Amino acid sequence: MLKVKNLSKKYGKVLAVNKVSFEISCGEIGVLIGPNGAGKSTTIKSIAGLLRFDGEISIDGKPNKSIEAKRVFGYVPESPSLYEYLSVWDHLEFVARAYGLQDWKDTADALLTRFDMDDKKKKIGKDLSKGMQQKVSICCALLIKPRMVMFDEPMIGLDPKAIKELKEILIELKNSGCAILISTHILDSIADVWDKALIMNKGEIVFNNTRDAMALSGESLEHIFFSKTEEEETEQ
Amino acid sequence: MRSMLFIMRKHLKNIIKGVFKKPLLLIGYLFIAIFVVIMLIAAFAMPSGLIRKGSNDLYIGIVTIVFIFMYYTTFKLGIDKGSTYFRMADVNIAFTAPIKPNHILLYGFIKQLGGTLLFLFIALCQIPNLKNNFDMKPYGALMILLATIVYALAYPLISMLLYSWATKKSGRKKLLKRVIDVFAVVIVVFVLLSLAQTRNIVDTLGAVFDNPIAKYFPIIGWTSSIAIASINGFTTEFWVGLFFMFALILGAAVTLYRMNLDYYEDVLEGTEYLEAAVKAKREGNNITFGIKARENVKQKMSGTGASAIFHKHLLELRKTAYVLFFDRSSVSVIIAAIVFRLVMPDESQILSLSMILLFALYMLLLLQAQGRLGSELEKHYIFLIPASSQEKLFFATLGEHIKNLFDGTVLFILSGILFKAPISIIVSCIITYTLFGAVYIYTDILSRRLFGRVHSKGLLIFLKVIVNLLILIPGGIAAGIVVAITESELLMICALAGWSFVLGVTLFAFSAGILNNLETAS
Repeated sequence: MLKVKNLSKKYGKVLAVNKVSFEISCGEIGVLIGPNGAGKSTTIKSIAGLLRFDGEISIDGKPNKSIEAKRVFGYVPESPSLYEYLSVWDHLEFVARAYGLQDWKDTADALLTRFDMDDKKKKIGKDLSKGMQQKVSICCALLIKPRMVMFDEPMIGLDPKAIKELKEILIELKNSGCAILISTHILDSIADVWDKALIMNKGEIVFNNTRDAMALSGESLEHIFFSKTEEEETEQ
Repeated sequence: MRSMLFIMRKHLKNIIKGVFKKPLLLIGYLFIAIFVVIMLIAAFAMPSGLIRKGSNDLYIGIVTIVFIFMYYTTFKLGIDKGSTYFRMADVNIAFTAPIKPNHILLYGFIKQLGGTLLFLFIALCQIPNLKNNFDMKPYGALMILLATIVYALAYPLISMLLYSWATKKSGRKKLLKRVIDVFAVVIVVFVLLSLAQTRNIVDTLGAVFDNPIAKYFPIIGWTSSIAIASINGFTTEFWVGLFFMFALILGAAVTLYRMNLDYYEDVLEGTEYLEAAVKAKREGNNITFGIKARENVKQKMSGTGASAIFHKHLLELRKTAYVLFFDRSSVSVIIAAIVFRLVMPDESQILSLSMILLFALYMLLLLQAQGRLGSELEKHYIFLIPASSQEKLFFATLGEHIKNLFDGTVLFILSGILFKAPISIIVSCIITYTLFGAVYIYTDILSRRLFGRVHSKGLLIFLKVIVNLLILIPGGIAAGIVVAITESELLMICALAGWSFVLGVTLFAFSAGILNNLETAS
């Protein structure tokens, strides 16, 4: 579903991402982890179509910047930024219009109820707490019933109930065949749900393996993360 | 495009609904609306050149310098960070949606049209003053507003194209910035050389800016020529300027609209910068926003209890200043005041430094309307310090008083030497400047207690400026009476100083409670 092939991105003379390649299949949850400055954000922004890059990124077989690819792609950014004067419902209505959704209202209602936001429909963006903004951001991404969804630090700012709900939603999405990519620093937050781990360091993918394969070696994700990232440091 | 129009429609509707829900806010906006109507009437209906008919050279010089400064700063920032019509909400929600990028660009352009209102408001406020001093045509106000709109539409488009070109190859950014800097240096050299010959600022402005090269110079000359039509009428320069600026805006917009658009990256950095600037403004940090802190300041943190805040402020002031406390705001106050004095009518020059003082106080009001203490109130530390509210307020504002004393001393010693003013006047001006600074600071704090966290920072600043002007009226009247009776400039300044001292102390007493807890501060 998501294919990233030889992705490279330079900022001036700095090579932020160097020939990164990976795939996330339908019904798979990939987790992108790495220390600060590893190139995760650049990779995420490139996949979201916000940056120019070298290489290829395709979603559902279409170039990621094409209208067709965007139609099936949901994105939850690291810092939720809502339109200050648009209400919660307005945001959902905008997404429905922008993605040309039909009969979206019931889905929107259901999502808001799951995140305890059904009584906040009329609240405008600037009056929402950061956690509530994050919930709206998640609802917007899920409203389109994406076939590929990307979360950047999705748990930050969420209350325990919303975290539990989001984890359940991730499983539901996975079961429905949606490809999911989650970028996070908090390994514990995704410990139960991931299928494939991608560890980035210094602009490169230094580890790419599935949970099943790792289960055979008996190593924990945390252990591999430190060994891969610190190994690089020591080699330097 | 319909979905983008939906955002604009809803945005506007919700703003209006929000205003009607809060009576204080409604009153504030009504106040601004009345002010705008008065300014509009004044701009269009008041006769021009009755008080004074300043020379056309001076007018042309002022207008051209203003546009040079505005284009210089916006282009430099644009090359560095890109220009943007967008906010992060657009980036996160609209950019990733299946909407054609050129439709999103069109939406941004329409939003920018709304943004020109702020520029129009600022320009509108200057028109009555210009009409008092220059012999403007009946349609003069309209020409100034037209030039302002042209500027507000042109600079983001040009900046976006420049950034897009500059980021494609390394070294281009540096090259473009150098070209702009060289251009600015050439203008300064021309002005200085001409000044050395003429020894007269007005003649210099005429020689440098009232010539065909300046008038037909791309972008700056074209924009200035539109504004200059307000005194020169519909000359060839005006039509040429209008035609080329119109063609440039249209051409740039069509180029961006038609190109194989992949401009999201170009606006991303600019949008992030804008978002950070908006955040800094909300937190009251906009005075220091964008300034790189110096790392080589050797001053150490000292002080205990509430005085620790004062020492922290001193350290911050030193770190953001060029030398000692001499920073960006000192430069603006000093340059503006001295330029104002240079272009002032001859008949006012008998009042020595008073005119500079009054203008500097006006500038200080605008600069200090934002208040550095605002950023302190956004954080919790000041509320937790175990000291009385009065003590904390005193120390939290002491750094600002010292900064004002420093700026005042530099400004008035410099202008005192330039205009050969007596020492007594220089000293009284410095004291008055510092005391007025205190009035502005404590009015800012009191406004926070009275109005709380007003939903619009702009509205709060507007209210603060109005409150300041109102409470300073008695001082102004007293100073007028004193000078009328005694004909002494020194006593007039002392009257102003006396009133500002009384006000400062009173305002301090009323605003001290603000640091009792977070609620009183917000």
